[in-house]
Amino acid sequence: MNNAKGFTVSAPPHIRSEEEVSTGMRDVLIALVPLVAVSIGFFRLYAVVNLAAAVLTAVVCELVMRKIMGGKATIGDCSAIVTGVLLALLLPPVVPAWYVVIGVVIAVAIVKELMGGLGCNLFNPALFGFVSLLMLSRVWQPIVYNLGSINGVTTATPLTYIKAGALNGIRPGYWDLFFGNAGGALGEVSVIAILVGAAYLMYKGQITWHIPLSILGSVVVLSAILGANPLYMILAGGLMLGSFFMATDWVTSPDSKYVQVIYGILIGVCVVLIRLYAAPTGAVAYSILIGNAFVPLLNGLIIRKKFGESKAVA
Amino acid sequence: MELKTFTGGIHPDYRKEATAYKATEEIALPEEVVIQMRQHVGAPNEPTVSAGDRVEAGTTIGSTEAFVSAPVHASVSGEVTEISEQISFSGALVNSVTIKVDPDQPDKWTGKKNLEGITPEQIREIAKESGLVGLGGAAFPTHIKLSPPADKPIDIVIINGCECEPFLTCDHRVMLENTEDLIEGLKLMMKAVGAGKGIIGIEANKMDVVEAVESKTASESGVEVMPLEVKYPQGNEKMLIDALTGRRVPPGKLPSEVGVLVQNSGTAVALYKAASTGRPVIDRIITVSGSGIREPKNVRVRIGTRIEHVIEQCGGFVNNPEKVIMGGPMTGFAQKSLSAPTVKGTSGIVVLTGKETGESEERECVGCGKCVDACPMFLMPNSIVKYIKRNQYEKADKYGVKDCFECGCCSYVCPARIHHVGYVRIAKAELAAKK
Repeated sequence: MNNAKGFTVSAPPHIRSEEEVSTGMRDVLIALVPLVAVSIGFFRLYAVVNLAAAVLTAVVCELVMRKIMGGKATIGDCSAIVTGVLLALLLPPVVPAWYVVIGVVIAVAIVKELMGGLGCNLFNPALFGFVSLLMLSRVWQPIVYNLGSINGVTTATPLTYIKAGALNGIRPGYWDLFFGNAGGALGEVSVIAILVGAAYLMYKGQITWHIPLSILGSVVVLSAILGANPLYMILAGGLMLGSFFMATDWVTSPDSKYVQVIYGILIGVCVVLIRLYAAPTGAVAYSILIGNAFVPLLNGLIIRKKFGESKAVA
Repeated sequence: MELKTFTGGIHPDYRKEATAYKATEEIALPEEVVIQMRQHVGAPNEPTVSAGDRVEAGTTIGSTEAFVSAPVHASVSGEVTEISEQISFSGALVNSVTIKVDPDQPDKWTGKKNLEGITPEQIREIAKESGLVGLGGAAFPTHIKLSPPADKPIDIVIINGCECEPFLTCDHRVMLENTEDLIEGLKLMMKAVGAGKGIIGIEANKMDVVEAVESKTASESGVEVMPLEVKYPQGNEKMLIDALTGRRVPPGKLPSEVGVLVQNSGTAVALYKAASTGRPVIDRIITVSGSGIREPKNVRVRIGTRIEHVIEQCGGFVNNPEKVIMGGPMTGFAQKSLSAPTVKGTSGIVVLTGKETGESEERECVGCGKCVDACPMFLMPNSIVKYIKRNQYEKADKYGVKDCFECGCCSYVCPARIHHVGYVRIAKAELAAKK
């Protein structure tokens, strides 16, 4: 009666949830559909070209790097596609496709795969690729980044108004920011599209409120204290996308809820300070990367209180 | 009705429908039984019979002077053919008595004794003599749990009727088919430890049992039934005590620390049977289920029956079995062969097929933190595994690896398919060896 090949013997548990890494990544991609759709509707071919270039490069990079590094193929987990889409969303539509390609190569080949692949990377690959481009763009003039209106496709990003303190009718209104008429990067066009996606991720249990709300909350509080318009601060620029889709990245965010709140506040404070006193462009990206750098320290600093350790005996 | 529960945990697919509503069946006796000398937590027994001896069902065939132990009895009448080491469900070799089963098996435990006026000392003695251990799977000798230290008085006895492991329904059937014995067993336990209150905690997927117990305890004072949310591992004693009383057992301590004694429902029934009829633990109810079993059912099995015989009696395999598990799928032992005999703590035999096991290659932790949210002990399984992988066992200890009771929630939810429980066992062994 024994099975010819013998029975499998391993440590328990002997059943697993159906959730795999690919399930989580697919949920992120599904959650990005509304935002991608709005950005394509808004920027048309510019958006399509950049998104396609980013995803294609990400996939090729991961396949090649896995081959070189001698690891198992992990393309099926879809994480490269997520990085590609997010990076494309971080960039303005007018940047040329080859520019996107460079950013994705940095993100996937260097920041993720060279570190050992998904799970080993310290920094969010898409954000690291994005800030690398920000810095490189100063070297590679005359590539114009986010300045002026080109072909009516993009306008000055709303953030430049925050810095300038302009309060007249020129800046995009709240409703424009909310529903998708704001200009800026692909992913900055519509807050509501981001919120719809975030709600889906929360419903699926892939992210919780802890990180995004502590970022947004601290931004509101600190900007109010410093005299900036809190509502404009959270609606404009990449803050929404960063808070819900990037700061919550599994790999580069803390694991326990307490630490997640501390991490969120750290990012929120950095966002306000960088936006108001340094450069508005890329403030969210820099802030989240700073947060990422603190994660190992924060994780080690606070050990969760064990069951029965805190509560007094009745 | 309000459902009580704990923090953390998971909601696996329970799949209890296959056997939950099937009454317990008797199965044909095997040709031989293998009674293992160690079926409990504690010191092993020494055989008190030799090859060639004739034994009757209920005869003590193994005992020891050690305090933490429970004697074993012949589960059948027959002839001792062999005393040798036999493989156990955990894969270890255990000294065992093999008995060739007589075709005729008279039942001599028919009369019922009056238990009024029984003393706590007598109850402990009955528990000890009948070889009673925790029948939920932990197999801790019952008479020791019924002897709490004098400085830690027990005021509540909890009967664990959760049966939170997927597939298993043996406790469900035992409680439903022996409701009066269950309540009487609880009252004996309360008497033994001097507790004024008894609670029977039952998960809400067994409302038929809740109703049956309620109707029989309506006139009782001090005994009540409380339904619990269906969530794994609700049946762990720490989680159960927290859910029912709000008391939390501190790390490394026993339930007596908070004045509670927890006993499995099957143990309560068996205690009452032993006290009222003198019947020792010679058989138990086992759930045989899973998509690899042709006829899933709950069966009464003599202790020492080999897995192979039990599976044959349930129609044998179907659908290419991949894993044969002794116990439930969350904490049970995967079997290499089918020769291990059932023991007192065997609650189920679950046979899983193909993809059901969700087995796939472990990959790097992706830091999703789902294990942290699922851990009912509020540990950080991801950090613990990270340190164990680096051989930093002291670090793992600092993160509470010794408080892990290996429920497997972390591994269940892990999208990277990490075997946390396997790593934890390595760390516990390493830390124990260092002492």
